[in-house]
Amino acid sequence: MALKALDIYKLLPKKNCKECGDPTCLTFAMKLAGGKADLDLCPYLSDEAKSVLGATTRPPIRLVKIGVGTRNFKVGEETVLYRHEKTFYHPPGIVFRVTDTMQADEIVAVTRRVRDETLTRVGADLRFNGIAIENVSGSAETFARAVETVEKVEAHLPPVLISKDTAALKAALVYCGTYRPLLHAATQENVKEMCALAKQHGCPLVVRSGSLDGLVNLVKTCTADGVPDLVLDLAPGTFGDFIRRSTAVRQLAITRAVPDLGYPVYLNAAETGQQDAAVALGIVKYGSVIVTDPLPVGSAKAALTLRQNIYTDPQKPIQMNPGIYRVGSPDKDSPVLMTVNFSLTFFTLQGYLESARVPCFMLIVDTEGLSVLTAVAAGKLSEMLVRDSIKKFGLENEVSHRKLIIPGYASPLSGRIEDATGWKVLVGPRDAAEIGEYLHEEWKK
Amino acid sequence: MPPELNFGWTTPIGEVVLGATNADGGTRRVSYRIGGGTTLPFLEGQPSTPAPLIAFEICDNPSFWSPIVKEYCGDVTSNVNEWAKKADADYGADLVRLHLTSTKQRNFSDVASLGPVVEGVLLATSLPVIIEGSNEPKIDSEVYQKCGEAGQGERLLLGTAEAGKYRSIAAAALAYNHSIIAQSPIDINLAKQLNILLKEIGVQRDHIVIDPYTGALGYGFEYSYSAMERIRFSALKGDSDLAMPMICSAADTLTIKEVREAGAGLQDETAIQWELFTCLAAATAGAEILCVRHPGTIAPLRKALAGMKQPAHSAGVP
Ligand code: B12
Ligand code: SF4
Repeated sequence: MALKALDIYKLLPKKNCKECGDPTCLTFAMKLAGGKADLDLCPYLSDEAKSVLGATTRPPIRLVKIGVGTRNFKVGEETVLYRHEKTFYHPPGIVFRVTDTMQADEIVAVTRRVRDETLTRVGADLRFNGIAIENVSGSAETFARAVETVEKVEAHLPPVLISKDTAALKAALVYCGTYRPLLHAATQENVKEMCALAKQHGCPLVVRSGSLDGLVNLVKTCTADGVPDLVLDLAPGTFGDFIRRSTAVRQLAITRAVPDLGYPVYLNAAETGQQDAAVALGIVKYGSVIVTDPLPVGSAKAALTLRQNIYTDPQKPIQMNPGIYRVGSPDKDSPVLMTVNFSLTFFTLQGYLESARVPCFMLIVDTEGLSVLTAVAAGKLSEMLVRDSIKKFGLENEVSHRKLIIPGYASPLSGRIEDATGWKVLVGPRDAAEIGEYLHEEWKK
Repeated sequence: MPPELNFGWTTPIGEVVLGATNADGGTRRVSYRIGGGTTLPFLEGQPSTPAPLIAFEICDNPSFWSPIVKEYCGDVTSNVNEWAKKADADYGADLVRLHLTSTKQRNFSDVASLGPVVEGVLLATSLPVIIEGSNEPKIDSEVYQKCGEAGQGERLLLGTAEAGKYRSIAAAALAYNHSIIAQSPIDINLAKQLNILLKEIGVQRDHIVIDPYTGALGYGFEYSYSAMERIRFSALKGDSDLAMPMICSAADTLTIKEVREAGAGLQDETAIQWELFTCLAAATAGAEILCVRHPGTIAPLRKALAGMKQPAHSAGVP
């Protein structure tokens, strides 16, 4: 059970030496109590403190870093079962799989795709995260060559090395051993050799078992061997299996009922027989490293979008910087449309404005990320805000007219905005889909 | 052995029956009993509840329908009976959801024609049917009356009741023993309030399906997903005003930018994947009826749902 900060503080060395990265032992104790710091950061702990604090202070799910450089990704350190209870913090890494029996140019093409493909949605660049190389050939040498092929692209993507054969992994690690690849997988049969490899290269390791007991045993062995960065492969036989076990792992970990299950979860969608569905389930049901064959365009976009949705903080909507934005090349006579800084609102409206092909200005006011209706209901959208924004962003210098189109849902404010700003207010349609028609018909008048 | 998972649930989700067979005075070849779940979706060790149902949506005036679907389905979209038949026999849906889009025409007044439309669809398919009435308050009461009457004895699911418009639909449901869809805008409290309003005018709990409103993937879906999880959670914790099955219809999916602008040859694939991802996520959050508009979504969705219902097959799993 969780300890209070003061109880923890009593067990710390009280040197206030700052080596843990915190200014004092007390602030470090507070972080530990909140599950926000790792005990290992203090080098001066007594054995007693270590054993008492051990599992109860570290984050209930360990943060595991995969890869190095700008494309590395971190998974774990989640604290809730439902996103509405707080939020989910670390989106799953979606990793494209190649096999060592593929032609080199195919391997290169997939690697380049993961390196380059970006889906830009509501202002964020969404990408796939890494390359998994699977040893299907059975040959260590062929496997190593495939890994070399990936590394030669110099895409610097986090690698996942999949092989049952430690000799093959050893050969492959020659090419990527210093890039924190994720090794797959330690099982009852090979756990000792896998640990030795992971330790030698300081890389994270997947443990694989079809039972939670089996996972716990493997985790105990690995941590005792000095391999702390683990990821759990639940070896699910069906989608039902995956949902049940993944939920069990999450629940038992965050309640600290079984601290040895406090690690991120791995899912190989490619081995489920229906990988698009598996990717979707992995995203919603606590998957942290999802391996899949390269996804076709449709499911690639759906997957990135679902991940973005599920990992958006429910308390903090994605926001735009308030200000003046241009669509096309507007001039002094172009229309001005006012809206809120909720990014979904902004991008929805912008999309329709672009297809309307009427150059215009968008005046984005700061409603703290609330949508039009929500902002109106919460009193965050007011005539003063609109007046101040016009001044602050210098809208008067951009256009020679004084007409402002406001969203249909903001119509209750139209009179007050006119009075406060001196601008003539035109109430636009409620649905942004009708903005094109509106501009063509109304603005031209 | 890791401890058993225990969430402390107290109350199962209520059940709603859709469709009436001969034995129950109707003409459907099947009827479904949805709801009854006792824990989070897909967590039962030995599933005691059926997989979520897949409803295929059709309409009686396709000028208001997605061009992607019209293109894919072809001429059949202009003959609602043939389309219903196809949804049943070829596409393999569990339910047919008929939208009376003809009522959206400007100055629509031919309410009398709606009865025969509903009857035609009920003859064309022997699956249980969902009927979506009008959005026009002026003709609402007559429309629902006609639908209710035409489907008498068939245990239809009538849509859609909202806070500002639920009386006429409730009246039709009560008069002809149909169930209704109760929709609120992505908010657990509003969902609860509407159910209480319906209760007050006599609609029984076992005749209500909650529609928490589904925003399209990328366009507010995250709010719908959490609203569903919260409704399911509260229901299992004992809130009987929320303990009804849920329906998910991401009706805007085929009009969003990513699907509309998917590019030549990719529209169908993108539409299908968008519906598939939405439906699977909604199913894990608690939806028991999943509505789709693209026929291509049904097969992969059904396959995945079957897999999700499959019991664990290795030992040691709670
Ligand atoms: C998600 C949501 C929330 C989220 C906030 C999300 C956000 N970032 O805003 C949360 C949970 C925080 C929330 C809170 C509240 N909400 Co709220 N919320 C919603 C919900 C479900 C969706 C809003 C949304 O995302 N819309 C999508 C965006 C894109 O829409 P939009 O900004 O309006 O933009 C569209 C148009 O306005 C138009 N448009 C936009 N800009 C412009 C500009 C021009 C010039 C033109 C022409 C058109 C145009 O284009 C867009 C697309 O068509 C709505 C219900 C609903 N389904 O609408 C309720 C809703 C808006 N909320 C409501 C309320 C009352 C609240 C609360 C006050 C209390 C509550 N019930 O929870 C709080 C207030 C928050 C606070 N901080 O105090 C009410 C408002 C009632 C009313 N009619 O005034 C609604 C309608 C729900 C209801 N009760 O029916 N909410
Ligand atoms: S490193 Fe240890 S001793 Fe030093 S300040 Fe941090 S907690 Fe205190």
